[in-house]
Amino acid sequence: MTTGNGAASRASEFFLRREVLITVALLLVLTWLLVSRGVSLLLTILIDFAIFTIVTLSLNLEVGFTGIPQFGRVIAVIAGAFAVGAIPGRLLAWFMGLPHGLSYAEDAVNYKVVPQLSEVLAGNAFLAVVFFLFSLVLAALCGAAIGWLASRPAIRLREAYLGISLLAFGDFFMWAGHNWEPLVGGTTAVFVPDPFRIVWGYRFQAVVITMLVVTLLIYLYVERLTRSPFGRALRMLRDSDVAAGVSGKNIVRVRTQSLMIGSALAAVAGGMYVIYTGTCTAIGFTRLTWTFWPWAYMMLGGIGSNAGVVLGVLLLTTMRSIITVYRFKLFGFLTVWGIDPLWLEYALMGLVIVVVVLFMPHGLIPAKVEPILPLGRVKKALERTAQG
Amino acid sequence: MDYIFQTEKVTKSFGGLVAVNDVSIGVKEQSFTMLIGPNGSGKTTLLNVCTGVLRPDRGKVLFGGADITGWASHRVYEAGLVRSFQIPLPFLGLTVLDNVLGAMRNPGESPLRAPLHRSWLDHEQDNVDKALDILRRVGLARHWDQPSFALGAAQLKMLEVARGLSAGAKLIVLDEPIGGVDPASADEILSYVSGLKAQGLTFLVVEHRIDIAAPFADYVYAMDLGRIISQGPPGEVLNDPKVIEVYVGRDEAC
Repeated sequence: MTTGNGAASRASEFFLRREVLITVALLLVLTWLLVSRGVSLLLTILIDFAIFTIVTLSLNLEVGFTGIPQFGRVIAVIAGAFAVGAIPGRLLAWFMGLPHGLSYAEDAVNYKVVPQLSEVLAGNAFLAVVFFLFSLVLAALCGAAIGWLASRPAIRLREAYLGISLLAFGDFFMWAGHNWEPLVGGTTAVFVPDPFRIVWGYRFQAVVITMLVVTLLIYLYVERLTRSPFGRALRMLRDSDVAAGVSGKNIVRVRTQSLMIGSALAAVAGGMYVIYTGTCTAIGFTRLTWTFWPWAYMMLGGIGSNAGVVLGVLLLTTMRSIITVYRFKLFGFLTVWGIDPLWLEYALMGLVIVVVVLFMPHGLIPAKVEPILPLGRVKKALERTAQG
Repeated sequence: MDYIFQTEKVTKSFGGLVAVNDVSIGVKEQSFTMLIGPNGSGKTTLLNVCTGVLRPDRGKVLFGGADITGWASHRVYEAGLVRSFQIPLPFLGLTVLDNVLGAMRNPGESPLRAPLHRSWLDHEQDNVDKALDILRRVGLARHWDQPSFALGAAQLKMLEVARGLSAGAKLIVLDEPIGGVDPASADEILSYVSGLKAQGLTFLVVEHRIDIAAPFADYVYAMDLGRIISQGPPGEVLNDPKVIEVYVGRDEAC
C-alpha cells in the first residue's frame, strides 16, 4: 500500500513538474509577445483561448467523458453562431421598426440596418447587457436543440458510423447557411449588432474580460458536472454501455443529455464568437477550425481531463498565433524547400496529433481515476464502516 | 412461496442456431436457484434475454407479476432485477469504489441537480458506507481507490458480484460468480450470498463449479443445447442420468 502511494505521489510530482514547466514557458512566450508585438496580439490570443476552451471543454464532455465520437463539433458552434447572427438583431430591428423579415440578411439592407442597431445599443447600457445575455441564452437553447437532434442517430449508430454522420451534418449546416441567404446572408456576411460599443475605445479589452469570465464560469460548471453521480454515469457509458444499462443507467437518456449539454456550451462559444467579430459568415465555420482543432487541443491536453483541456488550448492557440504572425519572418526559409509557410498551421495540427498518439496518449495532464466523493469524506466513511 | 421470476417458453436464436429453445423456468422468492449446464448450453443467452440485453424471439419473461419481456436493461434494473456478467465488464476509468457506487441510485444523476453538490452529497455518503461494506465482504475493501483496470481476473469477478449486490435489487442474477476464485474464498462468498436470502433477496446463479455451489442451492435447473433437461432439488438433479450424461459423456463412449 505504501509503495503504491509512493509511486502515485512520485508520478503526480512528475506531472506537476511538466505542467509547471509548460506553464512557465508559455508565460515567457506570452510576455515576449506582449513586449514585441504590443497588447493587441495578446488580446487576440486570449479571445481564441476563451472561445476554444469552451468548445474543447464541450467536446471533452462528449468524447472524453461519454465516449461519443463527436466529429461534428462544428454543428453546435454553427447553431449558436447562426442563431445570434440571425435572431437578436432581427428582434431589435422589429422593436425599432426597421426591416426585420427575410430581407434583414440581404447585404444591401443589412449594412444599413445593423449600424443603426449598434447605435441604439451604444446609447443604452441596460439594453446592451440584455442583448448580450439574450444572445448567449438563445445560442445555448439552439445548441441544446441541435444536440438533441444529433442524439437521434447517436442512439442507433455506433463509433465510426456515428462519427462520420456527425461530420457530414456539420458540413451540411455550413453549406446550408452559405447557400440560403435569408438565414445569415449566404455568401455575404451578415453583421451582428455590437453590444460592446458602449465601452468604445476599450471594446477589445471589455470583450476579452467578458469572454474570460464566461469561460471561467463554464469551466467551473463542467468541472462540477463531471465530478458528480451524473459524471460517473457518463464515464460508465463510455467504459461499457451494456454494463451501464444493467446498472440502471438509461443509455439513451444519458447520451442525449451529454450531447445536449455539450452542444449548448459549444453554441455559446459560437454565439460569442460572432458577437466578437461583429459578423457571421457561414463559410467561416469549417470542420477544420471548429472540429479538428478542438480535437487536437483535447488530445494534447488529455482526453477526459478538464484542466488538461485548458492547458492544451492555451499552448496550441499561442503556437497558432505565433505561426500566423511570424509565418514569413521566421519560417520563410521553408520556401527554399518548396514548402509554403501558409500551411504551417495545418502541419502543426497533424504533428500534434501524431506526437500525442505515439508518445503521450493520455495527454499533458492525464485524466485521474479518483473517487467522485471528495477523498476526505471517503476516508471518514472507511473508518466508520471499519468500526461497525 | 411464490415465483418471483418466471420465463415462459422463451426462445432465442442467432441465425440458424437456436441458443435458447422453449425454456420455462421459475425462481421462488428468497431462494437460491442454480442454473447449470455445459459450455454453449445457452445459460448466458437465457440470462441476457431475461435482463434486457437481448430480446427473445418468442416467449415471455415475468418478474414480480409484471411482463418484462423485451424491456430495456435500465427498466429491468428499476423493476428490481440486476445481474453480473460472466466475463467481467468493469468500468475501467473508475475506481473500484465508484464501480460499485455506479450500480446504486443517486439523485445527483440528474444533470440539473449534479452541479449542486449539496443536493446529493449526503446520499452519496450513505451509498459509500454501503459500498464499502459490500467491498469488505467480497475482499476488495483494500483496493477501493484503485482503478478497476488494476485488479486481477478473480478480483474483477468479485467486483461484478459486488455491483450486483449493491444495486438494491430483489432478484440478483449472478453469472458464474466464483469462476477463477479459490475454493475457500468461493465457499465464503457463496455462504455470504445465501445468507442474504434472509433479508428478502433472491438469487439465480449460473455456475460451473457444481461441487462448491450445490450445497447452497435450493433448486437446480440443468440446461443442454438450449433446453432444460432436468430440474429439482440439487441431490436429484445432480444424480439425474441425463445430467451426468452431458457432463461426463455416454456410457458407450467411456
